[in-house]
Amino acid sequence: MNTHSLSRRKFLQVSASSSVLLAVGCTPGSTGKPINLSSEGMTGASINQFITIATDGAVTLLNHRPEMGQGVFQSIPMILAEELAVDVEEVEIKQSEADPERYGRQMVVGSHSIQNEFHKMRMMGAAAKEMLIQTAADRWQVAAAECYAEKGRVIHNSSSRSANYGELVEDASKRTAPTEPALKSPADFEIIGQSIPRRDIPLKTNGAAIYGIDVDVPGMLYASVERSPVFVGTIKEYNREEVMKMPGVRHVLKTERDLFGRREGIAVLADTYWAAFQGRKALKVEWDTKGMESQSSETIASRYMTQADDEGTELFSRGDADGALSAGDGVIEAAYVTPYQAHVPMEPMNAIVSVTSEGAEFWGSTQNPNGTRSYLAKILDIPEKRVKINYTLMGGGFGRRSRTDVAEEAARLSQAVGAPVKVIWTREDDQTQGPFRACSLNLLKGKVTGGQVEALEHKVITQEIRNQTGDKMEAGRQIMGGVNTHYSIPNLSVRGVLQKHYIPISYWRAVYHSTNPFAHESFIDELAVAAGKDPLDLRLELLQDHPRFRRVLEEVRVLTDWDRQKVAGKGRGLAIAERSGAHFAMVVDVSRKAGKVKIDRITTVLDLGICVNPDTVRAQTEGSVIMGLTAALYGLTIENGAIKEQNFHTYPLLRYGQCPEIETFILPSSADPDGAGESGLPTVAPALTNALFDLTGNRIRKLPLSLEALV
Amino acid sequence: MPLKLNINQQTYELDADDDMPLLWVIRDFAKLTGTKFGCGIAQCGSCTVLLDNAPIKSCVLPASAAVGKQITTIEGISENNDHPVQQAWIEEQVPQCGYCQSGQILTAVALIEGNPQPSDEEIETAMNAVLCRCGTYPRIKKAITKMTRK
Repeated sequence: MNTHSLSRRKFLQVSASSSVLLAVGCTPGSTGKPINLSSEGMTGASINQFITIATDGAVTLLNHRPEMGQGVFQSIPMILAEELAVDVEEVEIKQSEADPERYGRQMVVGSHSIQNEFHKMRMMGAAAKEMLIQTAADRWQVAAAECYAEKGRVIHNSSSRSANYGELVEDASKRTAPTEPALKSPADFEIIGQSIPRRDIPLKTNGAAIYGIDVDVPGMLYASVERSPVFVGTIKEYNREEVMKMPGVRHVLKTERDLFGRREGIAVLADTYWAAFQGRKALKVEWDTKGMESQSSETIASRYMTQADDEGTELFSRGDADGALSAGDGVIEAAYVTPYQAHVPMEPMNAIVSVTSEGAEFWGSTQNPNGTRSYLAKILDIPEKRVKINYTLMGGGFGRRSRTDVAEEAARLSQAVGAPVKVIWTREDDQTQGPFRACSLNLLKGKVTGGQVEALEHKVITQEIRNQTGDKMEAGRQIMGGVNTHYSIPNLSVRGVLQKHYIPISYWRAVYHSTNPFAHESFIDELAVAAGKDPLDLRLELLQDHPRFRRVLEEVRVLTDWDRQKVAGKGRGLAIAERSGAHFAMVVDVSRKAGKVKIDRITTVLDLGICVNPDTVRAQTEGSVIMGLTAALYGLTIENGAIKEQNFHTYPLLRYGQCPEIETFILPSSADPDGAGESGLPTVAPALTNALFDLTGNRIRKLPLSLEALV
Repeated sequence: MPLKLNINQQTYELDADDDMPLLWVIRDFAKLTGTKFGCGIAQCGSCTVLLDNAPIKSCVLPASAAVGKQITTIEGISENNDHPVQQAWIEEQVPQCGYCQSGQILTAVALIEGNPQPSDEEIETAMNAVLCRCGTYPRIKKAITKMTRK
């Protein structure tokens, strides 16, 4: 229980003047009711920082986590509404200001929002409800235990007296909040667990939703920035005078941002975006490329391969894998390769910052409003309270918008030219500048004796997000994400060999779980073949002490009719994973017709605790599956030290017609929620390649794969 | 001379260069921000608008090419978010981040305009024109199917 934040509660008449938030959109909703996401103009008494009730009983609930498509705008208020005992269809939902002291951590990464906020939001709702009940009980001079709350009213059991929350809120908000309010039993939930239509969706069907790129700040200049193609290049010379003469161009200047090292660029600032972009195209920049042109995907791959025999760091160990693998027969080995990936949110990266003598103000789509505030304060050398953050809806994030480098570009440019500056990246910038999902080499070694898996060694050779700069040359546990150590293999070892080089990497949906399970779960399939066992049976056998994995495996067996007879021209593959606490099993069905291989169906069975809004969890799983499939089919390559694929024509996203049938089954649970935003992504590549092995007899160990190349 | 465009049945006189792509004229001059920048090379379809009822990629079309034609943006397809495509999108809870959805919806509007019961192949051909990173395709399929097979 966050007693600190509850004790900070105070009676507060929230008015337009005290709450200045960016309006993020206003439109008639599906019900015809106006929806305005901004908390500006909110009226009523705040019983705590998340709950405001007007004297007429109108309830406003705040969501404090940025919305990037994951549905948190609806889910956080649903948790509050459940314990507050109000009708969720009747409440107003608003987006809170960026203020970690008042609302707690606001960063949206790692599928954390619901997991981390579930208990706190229940406590906030339940405490407020108790304060309202106690106020009514005092007024009626009865015991609070004789009263209950329902649909925004407090009711006295025996006398049928009742009062609307609006009649009680002013007095209730002056009470001390209880630190241990009674919480509902999950069996009594009426809102949590219902698929309630999302309030942000009507804004996204008529163009009313405002994203960072749509914000217009009076007097702002637009900037387009030319950056080094080889990430670490520094500027030698550029044709400033020539570009300055172009129509609408106001400034041409050097800028920089930090992305695991200083990254330089030349910014062209103009009255319109188009003029800035035309100016940028006319730039001629001579880069000191530090000899990086000799780097390519091939040189990187062969460097990783030369370190295959490095012992690296032992990250996990059970029994004596080394001993078991160095003696006797039955040892099999395999190497798995994954490429770099870009995040590719559909809204290109952008930020607006205005730096004045008073401080700084930011407008934009960010997964990290609090980190943006502290970082801008640091680079501008001003107190954090003089930085105001206005965060909008995001046109996708996928991890990219947790970084602060674009805000830094805008801040430095605004400081230099004395006007608000809106930086807009191009799609090419987004795909070629990084940070990326790291490429990796995974080396697997296993031993099967008498049908039993006796030993397994999994070596991960890759870059580490937390350890890209500085002198630490040992791999840390971060890089073993998604390696399933729960398999009861008696001799098991996970090792890591750290790679350090000039290409910036960062968090990408599911992070290391987007690469390691491809190798691990494919190799479990290889071990099943070696042991002569069904891959589902082998997994069950190795997970006897793990009820959650067993549950999803047993359910997927039934739901996909796994035990049916093999059909000619069809293949299927299985994989399991755990990500952010969620456990899931996936089956991919493939077929070959007229020589063409097609992915027919992807079925996911999930055990992820209580689902606050099940339809949102299904949507997140569909999205994760499609992003995982896209990453199995397409990837980035390095050529002459730079990313080769510049835009969607060479680095495609999956299109509508390529999308297989996707089925998602959520198993009932009364356990606390796990993360739902990345479930399904880790299993797509291994379940797909296992299915293709089942169909063709060929094992694919390198991504991206080409369905067209299969025969 | 100002650029004269007809957007959503209103005449706009805009002080923009006529070789500027229609996308940026719509966004930065007409201040209609529902039309989105996605790739700049007519690959993703986030910038889709209707030009005399046909979907086009506004990021590569010079604004001068739209003079004298009817331009329809997402803001122009209904007064109250109640075009059948919008209603189907809300009913099926299609959008996630929502950024590409103007392009998706306008493409679907154009598809059913002259062909109220398109085949699966016709739906696929039309909808292949717009990319979605969130992965809303299964719901787009449900929304269009439900709407056209009543």
